[in-house]
Amino acid sequence: MTALVEHPLIELAGVTKTLRGQGEPRPVLTGVDLTLHSGESIAILGRSGSGKSTLLSLIGLFDRPDGGRYVLHGQDITRVSERRAAALRSAEFGFVFQRFFLLKHLTAAQNVAMALVNGQGWLGRRRRRATVLAALDRVGIAHLARHKPARLSGGEQQRVAIARALVREPRLLLADEPTGALDTETGNLVVDALHSATERGCGLILVTHDADHAARMGRVVRLTGGVLAPEVAV
Amino acid sequence: MRLSGRLRAALVIGIQGIRSRKLRTLLSMASLFLGVLAVVVVQAASVSVERAELRDIELQSGIDGTRQSYLPASEKVLPVVLDTVATHPDAVAFGNLQVDIGEPGVTPINPGGAPIDDPNGPVYDQGARNVICTPYRGCVVQSGPAAGPQARGAAIELNVTVMTGDIRRYKPFRLVSGQWLDFEHMPSLAPTVVLNTAAAKGFQKYTIPAQMRIPGAAADPTPQIIGVVDDGQQSAQAYMRMDETANWLPTAAMSRSFGSVGVMLPPGQSDTERILVSRLLAAGLTEGDVHVGTIDVRRGIQRSLTIMRIVFFGTASLVLLIGVGGILNVGLATVGERVEEFALRRAVGTPRLLLAGIVLSETLLTGLLTAAAAIGAAALTLRLAGSILAHREPVLANIGFPWQAAVAGVVAGLAAGLLGGLIPALRAARIPIATVMRA
Repeated sequence: MTALVEHPLIELAGVTKTLRGQGEPRPVLTGVDLTLHSGESIAILGRSGSGKSTLLSLIGLFDRPDGGRYVLHGQDITRVSERRAAALRSAEFGFVFQRFFLLKHLTAAQNVAMALVNGQGWLGRRRRRATVLAALDRVGIAHLARHKPARLSGGEQQRVAIARALVREPRLLLADEPTGALDTETGNLVVDALHSATERGCGLILVTHDADHAARMGRVVRLTGGVLAPEVAV
Repeated sequence: MRLSGRLRAALVIGIQGIRSRKLRTLLSMASLFLGVLAVVVVQAASVSVERAELRDIELQSGIDGTRQSYLPASEKVLPVVLDTVATHPDAVAFGNLQVDIGEPGVTPINPGGAPIDDPNGPVYDQGARNVICTPYRGCVVQSGPAAGPQARGAAIELNVTVMTGDIRRYKPFRLVSGQWLDFEHMPSLAPTVVLNTAAAKGFQKYTIPAQMRIPGAAADPTPQIIGVVDDGQQSAQAYMRMDETANWLPTAAMSRSFGSVGVMLPPGQSDTERILVSRLLAAGLTEGDVHVGTIDVRRGIQRSLTIMRIVFFGTASLVLLIGVGGILNVGLATVGERVEEFALRRAVGTPRLLLAGIVLSETLLTGLLTAAAAIGAAALTLRLAGSILAHREPVLANIGFPWQAAVAGVVAGLAAGLLGGLIPALRAARIPIATVMRA
């Protein structure tokens, strides 16, 4: 009898990245190792410029590492093509950014639907509407579906952004300082909404400066000098 | 029609983009409008001119494909031709006569069958009083006594086509008033005459006695003018039945007056044509004498129309190019403003190709909207021009908006949208996703 091997959600091994701009090349990640399982949450702490966002952009396939290995659910995707990366971003990942990046000419529902109308398959109008409303409902703002961003508070806007990230039922949620532009109370609500996603088996990586928010994650790691410091049990 | 997911997504997002940036869309449309309008107008004009040209030339030369032959109207040939067409009603034989209607012994109002009151009217050739020169027929020797010194009187000279059957099958003259010749009834001793509009002007303006002089005829018959047609000719023309003419002008005299006899036959090598040619060869004509040709007026005007089209389309293309520049300019500015939106769309899984498709769908839709506006404006202008100017330019009275112009407008709109949107689309597709991370 063969035992089913359950792969981790993501595995990074010796990942390196050097930023090449106009000046001298600057190594940002010098050998990052990270493993995350489904339903697990992890907070990444670090100073500004330490490479947290760069690491998140590699995990989210916005960019490719210079070295090392990146495995998603047992599949090596270190050198995945841009076309495949777009499909993976659509199906596997949800993104939440510090700035909410809502399109001001669209309603909350249309902003959430943006993740569905992305050329990766097509949902009929009725099903799309139901899916969008369900996602908004998960973050408690289904009643604001027809509102445009200008009529929403910062916390509501961020929750629309979280609904957009969750609408395709991703396996991994990547949040880059999602509470950076919010007050403490609203920030807590947003972290609650993110954390609730892990209860449905979704992995969560939260990049933050806020130690309190980090403490609510299952694990906390610190990025220093291009490597992740030993994990600290919370 | 089921569209693929990407195409639908491009259309949905494109429409959202247009709706959210109405002013920019309007500005793009404004810059493109004149260009597309120019293409629509040029196409509409060239199609209308071609139709009008073709219609007029068909009136004069005959419908394309008609078989036609001109034969010497000798006493040997004319009876053979008349005998053949008498038993083959699909063929029409015809000859031309110079006929005067009106006072005898005077110089007609329009010597040589020239247009009535034509300022460029005919002149008598110096030194030869019976040679008359007109811009329409060149210089011809007038039959009968020298006309030069005679005083002008109440007579009109007509170039008469005398025919065995209804020539309108091959030359679609438009009936203006009255009726066309009736070939079913017994021939009348008072020959029935149909005038063209140029000749009718003379009969309307002047009081002309009803006395017809046919050169070679023993007596002057009294004509019955029964109708007026538009035959595309500027000179004074008339049409008569050959059998009614033969009551006054025997075949032998007719053959002397005609000079040549024409025969119009149906398209293709018909039995009538084969029989006619065989009989003519049997009557002693050589194959060189019997030439049957096919009317092809379209080819004749094609070259001049092509040149006209090239010149007009060149001009319209330049105007369109300026419109493309406008749409390109607005497109680039819009992409610059939407960097974050496109980066975000890429972040949520939108492929580069679809991003390019979104921008292109916006510019293509803008091009289509512009085309619709330009086509509408051109059709409306044409209709207005038709209703206002129809009394001055009869050509405008029945002019319709040609579908080819609408197609040209749509193609021009789409081409402009494609050309103007291509560079912005490529730029949109190259926006790095990291833009949203660094923002």
